[in-house]
Amino acid sequence: MATLAAAVLLVALPAGGQVDLGTEEQRAAGKIVYDKYCGQCHGDTGDGNGYATPRVKPKPRDFTTGTYKFRTTPNGMLPTDDDLRRVIEIGAPYTSMPGWPNLTSAEIQNVIYYIKSFSPDFENPDRYGEPIEIPRPLESTEESIARGRVVYEEQGCAACHGEVGRGDGPSAPTLVNDKGDPIKVADLTQRWTYRGGATKEDIYRTFSTGLNGTPMPSYADSLEIEDRQHLVNYVYSLGDGDDPNYGTLITAVYSEEPIDLEDGETLDALFETAPMTRFPLVGQISEPGRNFFPSVTSIEAQAVYNRDEIAFRVRWHDLRADTSGRNSPSLEVPMWDEDNGIGAEAADDGGDDFFGDAGGDDFFGEFGGEEAPAEDDFFGDSGGDDFFGDGGDDFFGAADAGPPGAEFSDAVALQFPASLAPEETPELKPYFLYGDSQNPVDLWFVNLTYGVADTFRGRGSESIEPTEADIVEAVTSYDQGEWTVTYKRRRSSRAGVSFAEQQYTPVAFSVWDGFNRERGNKRALSSWFYVYTEPSVQPATTFPIVRAAVIVLVLELLVVFLVRRRARRQAAGEEAAGGTLAATEAPAV
Amino acid sequence: MLGLNLPVVIVLAAVGGVLAWRRANTLTWLLYTWVALWAFFKYGFAVPIPRSVATIYLGITGLALVCFASSSRERLSETVQPIARLILEPRYRLALAGLLVALPALAAYNVYADLNVPLEAPGFGREVHPPPPTEMTVHDETVDMATAENPYLHYNHDDPELYGEHLENGRRVYYENCFWCHGDGMGGDGMFAHGLNPVPSNFNDVGTLPILQSSFVHWRIAKGAPGLPGAGTPWDSMMPAWEKFLTTEEMWDVNLFIYDFNGYEPRALGQH
Ligand code: HEC
Ligand code: HEC
Ligand code: HEC
Repeated sequence: MATLAAAVLLVALPAGGQVDLGTEEQRAAGKIVYDKYCGQCHGDTGDGNGYATPRVKPKPRDFTTGTYKFRTTPNGMLPTDDDLRRVIEIGAPYTSMPGWPNLTSAEIQNVIYYIKSFSPDFENPDRYGEPIEIPRPLESTEESIARGRVVYEEQGCAACHGEVGRGDGPSAPTLVNDKGDPIKVADLTQRWTYRGGATKEDIYRTFSTGLNGTPMPSYADSLEIEDRQHLVNYVYSLGDGDDPNYGTLITAVYSEEPIDLEDGETLDALFETAPMTRFPLVGQISEPGRNFFPSVTSIEAQAVYNRDEIAFRVRWHDLRADTSGRNSPSLEVPMWDEDNGIGAEAADDGGDDFFGDAGGDDFFGEFGGEEAPAEDDFFGDSGGDDFFGDGGDDFFGAADAGPPGAEFSDAVALQFPASLAPEETPELKPYFLYGDSQNPVDLWFVNLTYGVADTFRGRGSESIEPTEADIVEAVTSYDQGEWTVTYKRRRSSRAGVSFAEQQYTPVAFSVWDGFNRERGNKRALSSWFYVYTEPSVQPATTFPIVRAAVIVLVLELLVVFLVRRRARRQAAGEEAAGGTLAATEAPAV
Repeated sequence: MLGLNLPVVIVLAAVGGVLAWRRANTLTWLLYTWVALWAFFKYGFAVPIPRSVATIYLGITGLALVCFASSSRERLSETVQPIARLILEPRYRLALAGLLVALPALAAYNVYADLNVPLEAPGFGREVHPPPPTEMTVHDETVDMATAENPYLHYNHDDPELYGEHLENGRRVYYENCFWCHGDGMGGDGMFAHGLNPVPSNFNDVGTLPILQSSFVHWRIAKGAPGLPGAGTPWDSMMPAWEKFLTTEEMWDVNLFIYDFNGYEPRALGQH
């Protein structure tokens, strides 16, 4: 129906002017869907100010502006219905915009009509553009990728996306969208996080039409079609695969070699042999100090061990190294700051108190004036400031002055239980969040300002104490948007967990991005996972395989032999007895 | 549904149907039962069950089948006769030879596969709905779990307008606090859900809210994972203890909202 109407209009109007706003009933039906499923984020009036808005990043789209990111239409134009349908069906990965696979096609069409009614732009034929044509991807040859690399450099993609695409270009920390909210540059190496889709066609579309309302420009005018195809192949080649392949286990491999943190090359060679596992990280939102939009969404980890020592290596992407501020697992985070304005002490009675700034000043005094909550911050678009801390001004200044002046530094921690679970309750672990009073955890914390490991014993968020029972060493490096931290400790411990061979030891991760003002409990963290210390001597595999085959064969032959013998005997017996019994007895072998 | 891989289950059932229709003999049924169970464990679940658990079940089933086959003389002969024929009759010679090669090869492959399974983190079962305490204290008030009910539920009939206000407040609370994990549509698939183990509860599921009393849900909301007994593996779950963030009224309101959104009602008091 809708396509038919669109087709008719297409004939009637000059190219591009496919105004199709649906019928009154369709919009009314769309409103019902919208009010149930969309209004809590996009706002009941479509202005992008729903209940969730202050606590999500990027912000839900403001439908009153007619500005849309993911379009097949030229820069600045309105999206087609199919573009909108695509986003609604599959969502924008790694944002709070979910896919809605449960909605029927008709429901989606109706909600599209309703969304369009929020902005007068959709009534204006001049705002419609002809969708671009997306050619079939070129074969991804080495030459094509090399040409794509040249285009990438010439066009200045690296200024934002970084030399190898990790989202760490020099401009990355300064970018804001058209509402003034800081915006995170896409990490081109983690294709699964692309919001507009990760296929080659999606990538082609993204940089051809640009993302309206964001600094991500359109290259339709500056690039020939063929160069764009090469660029697609290059961008694609930067990726670490379509799927993050999140794992649940680090396998620590055995090595005879000594583990020397000072000797980078040998160390790298040693870790070459160890499998790498990627673990998902999410914001800590279970305890005060909540982090609703962590900047780091995954961490990779591997481990090696020798006779006496065990070493862990973790890696994650961060748009810049913040190495001048302070940080610690127990640094306090004021309630007001963590919640971006909403929420207050639990005991409060709700209502106005939540949004007033009662008590707020005290908290913010401590952290400097710029955080004082302006009333607008709570609901307005500028709620974003917190994300990127001190906001633009300071930043630009700092960029010239050399080291960026973030208040909090980047940091990372590995968390282990202080002791293994007793044999009767192997499932027992300390509370994943810094442990609990009965079951403490040990934290191997590295503040990347200093690059050394400090150990803490956690008995819950309120009780995190430095310990010195074990010496943990660490080396750190930051290279083109990627932090690498390598830890080493003796396998046996006096006070904490020892790493015996063939042992499963729970492990969890925390990452703090200073740029995102993460500190203390405001962090990205993981659930409990495991590290397994692989046996130092690998058991032989051929023998058990051959043994199994031989045993089965022998059994088979035995059965055949017995059955045949019995049959022979019976035949002999039958002959003797005239075959009277055979009919009933024979089968019982 | 139920985490099953439906196409596989349907195919297995269909094969069973064909066997019944063709009046398959006892041996075929025994073999079918075991192989179907194996296939079900291996491919029938959306999230495969641990190999070690499957092996134990299959072993037990194997034993049970042997017991079944030898439980009467008739069954035994029905089971054994076809095997004896295969071994004895010359026209099956080729098939027998094939089997003699195939079974050891299968055994060898199985051992090989066993030796090469990618290592898995140990998995432990957890009780999803462990028994709640008989009473609890939330914001200095004692809640008797046996008699407590959502205090706003009755407005549904008595005062729809007031009910609507509580619902709207619950909606606010949900979308300010819960959807990261439980999802925008409450399918247990929020934007953080992929990083959680155990996964967040799916409130669309008929096996969750409708079978729970509102006091149970209130307990889970107020005390979160830290309030669970050991059987619920409180150390793994990220479910927050919402009394730290929310007022009692807000907790009942969001309780009301998650039921209403999914068109469910809490299980009535006294029903078990
Ligand atoms: C939990 C919050 C949330 C809910 C619920 C939600 N959205 Fe969104 N939506 C977002 C966010 C956040 C974005 C912006 C994503 C971005 O900028 O990358 C967005 C973006 C969009 C866009 C714009 C895509 C573009 O090209 O710019 C559309 C269209 C959209 N949502 C439709 C819907 C519809 C329809 C529903 C209900 C069925 C819905 N959303 C429900 C959070 C939400
Ligand atoms: C001025 C800075 C800037 C430049 C230059 C730039 N980008 Fe981007 N790019 C961005 C930002 C910001 C985003 C994230 C937008 C968002 O998520 O809303 C982005 C997103 C992307 C995405 C992912 C979109 C998605 O679906 O999440 C791709 C692919 C991309 N850019 C490719 C390129 C290529 C190729 C070039 C060079 C031809 C380029 N960009 C140049 C800022 C830039
Ligand atoms: C950080 C993630 C997270 C957030 C946020 C969260 N939950 Fe949960 N919730 C979980 C997980 C994981 C489970 C399942 C494990 C368990 O039972 O503890 C769960 C379980 C529950 C259950 C128990 C369901 C059952 O079948 O027993 C209820 C009720 C619940 N959540 C309600 C809420 C409400 C209401 C909110 C918001 C106020 C909320 N949750 C916010 C993670 C979360």
